[in-house]
Amino acid sequence: MARTALITGASSGFGAEYARQLAARGTDLVLVSPEESALAALAEGLRVAHAVRVEVLAADLLHAGQLDTVIQRLTDAARPVDMLVNSAGFGLTQGFELNDVHDEVRHLHLHVEVPLRLMHEAVRPMLQRGSGRIVTVASVAAFVPWGTYGACKAWLVSFSRWANGRYSGRGVTFTAVCPGFTHTDFHVRMGLPRGEEGVPGWMWLDAHRVVAESLRDVARGRGLSVPSWRYKALLALTRVLPVRLLAVLGRQGA
Amino acid sequence: MTRTALITGASSGIGAEFARQLAARGMDLVLVARDKAALSTLAIALGDQHGVEVEVLSADLVVPRQRERIIRRLTDPEHPIDMLVNNAGFGLPLQFERNDIEDEVRHLELHVEVPMRLTHAALGPMLQRGSGRIVNVASVSGFIPRGTYGACKAWMVSFSRWANGKYSRRGVTVTAVCPGFTRTNFHERMGLEPGREGVPPWMWLDVRDVVAEALRDVARGSGVSIPSFRYKALVALTRLVPAGTASRVGERGR
Repeated sequence: MARTALITGASSGFGAEYARQLAARGTDLVLVSPEESALAALAEGLRVAHAVRVEVLAADLLHAGQLDTVIQRLTDAARPVDMLVNSAGFGLTQGFELNDVHDEVRHLHLHVEVPLRLMHEAVRPMLQRGSGRIVTVASVAAFVPWGTYGACKAWLVSFSRWANGRYSGRGVTFTAVCPGFTHTDFHVRMGLPRGEEGVPGWMWLDAHRVVAESLRDVARGRGLSVPSWRYKALLALTRVLPVRLLAVLGRQGA
Repeated sequence: MTRTALITGASSGIGAEFARQLAARGMDLVLVARDKAALSTLAIALGDQHGVEVEVLSADLVVPRQRERIIRRLTDPEHPIDMLVNNAGFGLPLQFERNDIEDEVRHLELHVEVPMRLTHAALGPMLQRGSGRIVNVASVSGFIPRGTYGACKAWMVSFSRWANGKYSRRGVTVTAVCPGFTRTNFHERMGLEPGREGVPPWMWLDVRDVVAEALRDVARGSGVSIPSFRYKALVALTRLVPAGTASRVGERGR
């Protein structure tokens, strides 16, 4: 697969899992996150375990100057990046009307504007080389109305599908990965301890399997990856269920 | 019932048509756009013809200070706004990789961040009064992937569905209006002459029909409005055909 992958949000959750699985396949890594010490620890572990090169780029992607540093690395012609994994994100509570609008704007910027900028920068050198993989962590929330989070993920799914259709013929694939509820520290960071997220046990996925399945879909050049048969079936249902019912489902859980 | 509507992008196209039809129903208007001369002409005509009060607010919604003025008007407790129509928008060429990234970011701001901010501002007073209508002009490209434009419209559709489910019980409805190709000056502004947009004639809609049907759906409290039987059928089809086929359809026309 790819020789060098740049992963945002790499210090934890899906980002860290992509780092582990790609390193195990011999891919060199550029890890991006504001959490420098977590990145450094992960990087050291992966270097030792898999003998790959791992760069650490501590950056807050919402900070213009720091985002520029990441873009410079992404477009460095001397050290090409073959795979971009957009994984950085965070959750807000669903009380849109009660949330501070500045938090909502930060949420929109991190989930949409940042990947938009990174994909725009990555796609040109990839098209010139005639190869590249762009992987964006979206969510099944893109298909079930789910606050501004679901709306941002719908942006990512819509764009990835279209871009994959447009650019895969020229060697650059775009894949939107749509996991369901997955055990990572995402919900804990939202202040919801494990077991208290209001989600039934069968709906939980394992991060390792989600990433493994998504990487198979990336290798196949799919525009959309929905890991696990459970969520594939659920998604098929959303295509036939009335929209009103989906809106009700979207209010369940955290 | 509803008394005053604030419409963005009101100087032309679907926005101006909302202004005409709402004035004809006796609503007072606040018209927002950059083009002050066009707004004034429309305002005088509507005031004369329908005896309604029409305010003109010329503002560029991606300029924070100008947007703040609109938000102050939107939340003025002395002159409440009963209906917000988020309509301002523009198109970019589909060659994403060649578009200037700052144009893409402005496009995202105007199509997503601005309506999100205005909706957030309008919701508070509307929920307090227990009534209000928010109308988001999206597009069928919210369902059929089509560049960053389609992705922004997918954001709007997803958000509107969710918000309508969440807030309609408290008296505030949110409707995403999803027109297909509609005869306005939108395509001309993109530099495409009428008849040269690469779209078959049967796919064109009349702007009056689009807005009239949208207003019926708004009155019913629908979360999504897809004007015309043709496009309802097309969107229903996209739920059944594979995503790859839908993406190829999204490549048609401009």
